[in-house]
Amino acid sequence: MKQSFVFSGSGGQGIMSAGITLAQTAIDMGKHATYLPEYGPEQRGGSAKCTVVISDDTIVSPLPKMCDHLIVMNEQAYAKFIDDLKPEGLLLANEARIKDEIERDDVFCIKANVDDIAQQLGNEKAANVVLIGILIGATDVVSREVFAKSLEEKFKDKKPGILEMNLAALEKGIAIGKAHKDERKA
Amino acid sequence: MGDKRFMKGNEAIAEAAVRGGCRFFAGYPITPQNEIPEYLSWRLPEVGGAFVQGESEVASINMVYGAAAMGTRALTSSSGPGISLKAEGISYLAAAALPAVIVNISRGGPGLGSIQPAQSDYLQATKALGHGGFHAMVLAPNSAQEAADLVYDAWEYAERDRNPVLVLMDGCLGNIMEEVELPPMKELHDEDLPEWSLTRRNGRDWQGNITPIYTELILEGLNAMAGEMYKAWEEDDVKVEEFMLDDAEYVVVAYGIASRVSKEAILKLREEGVKIGMIRPITLFPFPKKSIRNLDFTKVKGIFDIEMTVPAQMREDIELQVMDRCPIYEYGRSGGCLLDDDGVYDAIAEIVKGEDA
Repeated sequence: MKQSFVFSGSGGQGIMSAGITLAQTAIDMGKHATYLPEYGPEQRGGSAKCTVVISDDTIVSPLPKMCDHLIVMNEQAYAKFIDDLKPEGLLLANEARIKDEIERDDVFCIKANVDDIAQQLGNEKAANVVLIGILIGATDVVSREVFAKSLEEKFKDKKPGILEMNLAALEKGIAIGKAHKDERKA
Repeated sequence: MGDKRFMKGNEAIAEAAVRGGCRFFAGYPITPQNEIPEYLSWRLPEVGGAFVQGESEVASINMVYGAAAMGTRALTSSSGPGISLKAEGISYLAAAALPAVIVNISRGGPGLGSIQPAQSDYLQATKALGHGGFHAMVLAPNSAQEAADLVYDAWEYAERDRNPVLVLMDGCLGNIMEEVELPPMKELHDEDLPEWSLTRRNGRDWQGNITPIYTELILEGLNAMAGEMYKAWEEDDVKVEEFMLDDAEYVVVAYGIASRVSKEAILKLREEGVKIGMIRPITLFPFPKKSIRNLDFTKVKGIFDIEMTVPAQMREDIELQVMDRCPIYEYGRSGGCLLDDDGVYDAIAEIVKGEDA
C-alpha cells in the first residue's frame, strides 16, 4: 500500500518538520518513506510545501502528481494545491486561516482550528503535532506509539513541560481524527 | 550490522565522501546543494579533515587543486551557476592530471536560473565541463542510496585515472530524504598516498612537480593519452540499468530523478499490457552506447527521452546510437517545474496508445 501526503502552508508553520517526523515514524515502523521539501528563496514566511510518500514496498517515484492526503495550513496553500488532491482523498484544513468554503465535494474534509488548539495547550508551535495526531486518528498511517516515542526522543532535552504539551497536542489531534473516522463509517 | 539512516541525498553524498576517504572540502554556498557543505563543516573536522568555505567558487576549486596535489582526497560541490565558475579550475585539474570529485546538484537554467531542481546541465557535464577538450567521468545517481554508493568509490576512479570525476544529480534528489545504508569507513594510510603526490616524503622519494603547463609535443601526447583513457572507460566503466527490455517495443532512456518517475509510468503501462522498458545511464560519460545501439530494432517502435529539462539534452547521444531506426520522442519539464508521475505517464501513453489514450 502506497500513500502520499502533501503538507503546505507558509514558512514557520512547522510544515517541513511535520513531513519529516511523519516519514521518520513510518521508517521506524519498518515501512519505506520519502520526503521532498519545496520552498522559495525567502528566508522567512515564503510558501512551504513538502511531499511525503509512505509505502510497504520500495518507493519508485517520489513525485506523485496527485496526493491521497492534503494538509493545508493557510488559504494560499489551499488555493494552490486543492486540485492536486485525489477524488476520495482526505483534506485537512487549518480552520484558523482558511475561511473559504471548501469547494470540492468529492473529497473527505476535516476542518480543525489547529492554531487555537495548540495555543490553548501553551504554544502554537505544536500545531503541526495536532495535525499529525489528526492524520493518525483518521488514517492509521503510522502508529500512535511509534510517533509518541519519536516526540519523546525529540524533546527529551528540552525544558520540562514541552514534551508533555506535545503529547497532549497529539492526543487532541487523534481525538479529532478518530471522530472523523467514526463519522465516515456511520 | 548496516548503518541505515533517513537522510537527504546531499547529506548522503557528504557522509559517503567522508567514508570514501575525502579529507578536504572547499566550496561556496548555493541552493540546492547547501546541505553538502553544511554537513561537511562539522563532519570533516571530526575525522581530522579540513573544511573551507572559500571566498568564491574560483578560489574553492583552486584550493581543491592544491589539496589534490598533496594526495588528499578532495571534494567541491556547487550547482550549475557555480560549476560554470569552477570550469577553469576543473580544466586545470584535468591538465595537471589531478584526481578530485566535483558534485553538481543541478537547478533550472540558464544563467541564474531558479533555485528549484532541473536536469539542465547534461551538456555541460558531458561535453564541455571546461575549455580544452577534456572529459571527466560523469556519475548520475537516481537515489540517495546510489549517490552514497557512487561517491564512496568516486576517488578510486579519480586516482586510477588521475582525472577529476563529476557527480551530476538534480536538486530534487539532493533534497529528498530517504533511507540510506551507509558503507563502512575506508581506512587510508600515508603509505596509500599516490606515488606522484607532493606529500610523499618521510623516507620515501620526493616527487617534485605537478604542473598544468606543457610544451606542444608533450601536450599533444597527453591529449592522445586522454583520448585512450576515454576509450578505455567505454570498455570498462560504463554503468547502466536495463529494465524490462527483453520484449520491449518502446524504450525510455532516462537518468537521475527522471528515471524514477519514468519507472513508475513503465510499471503502470506494463500492467496495461504495453511492452515498454528503460535504459538508465548511471554513467553519463562514458555513455552506455551499446545498450541503445544493440536494441532489437525489429521490435522497438519508439524511444522516449525523458528529462527534467526542455529541450532534452541527451537526445543527440541517443540519436547517434538509434541511427534513424525508430522515432525518438521527448518529454520534459524545466525551469524548476518538476516532473510528476501523471505527466510522464500521459506523455508516453499518448504515443503508445495512439488516439485511444
